[in-house]
Amino acid sequence: MSYEHLIVERHGPVGWLINDRPEVRNAMNSAMRDEFAEAWTELDNDPAVRVIVHTGNGRDFQTGVDVGEVASDGVGMERYRQSMEDFDVHFTSWHQGVWKPVITAVNGICCGGGFHWVADSDIVIAASDAQFFDPHTSVGQVVAIEAIGLMKKMPVEAVMRMAFLGRHERVGAERAYELGMISEIVDPPERLRERGQELGEIVARNSPAAMAATKKALWGALETGLTDACKQGARHLVSMWGHPDQAEGPLAFAERRDPDWQSL
Amino acid sequence: MTYETLEVQAEGPVGWLVFNRPEAGNAVDARMFVELEAAWAELEADTGVRAIVNTGNGRSFQTGLDVGQLANDPEALRASSRQTRDFALRMTSWHCGVTKPVIAAVNGTCAGGGLHFVADADIVIAADDATFLDPHVSVGQVSAFETIGLLKKVPMESVTRMALMGAHERLGAERARQLGLVSEVVAAGELRDRARTLALRLAEHDPERLRAVKQTLWTALEAP
Repeated sequence: MSYEHLIVERHGPVGWLINDRPEVRNAMNSAMRDEFAEAWTELDNDPAVRVIVHTGNGRDFQTGVDVGEVASDGVGMERYRQSMEDFDVHFTSWHQGVWKPVITAVNGICCGGGFHWVADSDIVIAASDAQFFDPHTSVGQVVAIEAIGLMKKMPVEAVMRMAFLGRHERVGAERAYELGMISEIVDPPERLRERGQELGEIVARNSPAAMAATKKALWGALETGLTDACKQGARHLVSMWGHPDQAEGPLAFAERRDPDWQSL
Repeated sequence: MTYETLEVQAEGPVGWLVFNRPEAGNAVDARMFVELEAAWAELEADTGVRAIVNTGNGRSFQTGLDVGQLANDPEALRASSRQTRDFALRMTSWHCGVTKPVIAAVNGTCAGGGLHFVADADIVIAADDATFLDPHVSVGQVSAFETIGLLKKVPMESVTRMALMGAHERLGAERARQLGLVSEVVAAGELRDRARTLALRLAEHDPERLRAVKQTLWTALEAP
């Protein structure tokens, strides 16, 4: 499929999904929203892709919904409202049930709806000049889904503060790192994609099937309490028993070579 | 019980549970699998013990199941497989229902299943040369229980990153402290002294109160 507002690339085992509306800071219009659903599924279904890295073209990563476009195209706003009311949304890897590892590489500004992709990915790195803020309340909007996702994953006070201070305060890459929202700052910022590719290639050395089952166990744990999460995690753990990768891993280790994993 | 793979002793009000297979990175073999349950029960039952310190001999804290050794002991392998499948493990203080405060003092490497003992302790301190990693997916294994325990307690991204980077990246002690995975980093040679000091301080508190607090707070993790 060809995309108008996204770029989908493959570099070795790493699939890239790049926001490509730099003239509007990669804000998401209706067409881009539909393309996200397609792009995640395309990369998830490609057996050659073992890891997905998501970033943005231009100065900024993502700045949420392109409200102007969605409000003015006649159908966009009604459709958008309906999908949110039903929580029938398909623009992040989590929404789409992608069980390959997803790395978000934040360039420049990530604000408002941009947090969806920070909340919903497995590994988040950021350029040293990245900035995070949530302007919803400053323009009379409620923030819910993306902030809820973040609250489950990091200190809640930091999320509430961003939600309430709106556009009047920004969180820098350094503070995001301290809070555990991101795990790595890339400096200089120009190295962000190079580092994203490097990390992707490292993760791609691990068993695709084991990583998929691990993701299911860990993301499933956000839905329930500790003991129930462990019981459900046991199901995912046991699902790998008898898989060829479980023999291949120790064998490759003993033979001091790279494992030859089964594709998903 | 006579222990072969652990050192278990009461030193005044401080109970010590020390992994003692340094030649194998303190990995849990069939024997340790059985001894852990007995050791937690013994320290829980000893009314003189008010707080428990869990640490390891040698260069590693704990490196998880000794899969090679277990594979040679079919009965033990079956037992551990059954306990895994049913999530009926009896390895950590949490699994064994220990009601006394537990301090994990992480010396050196804590890998894979070793993270169980970090996730399930109440207080975690580490030596400055401690490292944390989860190599499961690098050998075709799923990471579940120990990382689930951790993600209920620390920022999740650090846990998913550790689980998916596998053997190819280690988290250092200082970053672990920043993330709240551990609360204190001390020089390696001072780890046990510091753990003892903390345990003695806990031992000054009313044990019934500590028990109630521990139960209340861990129960809070059971809410969705």
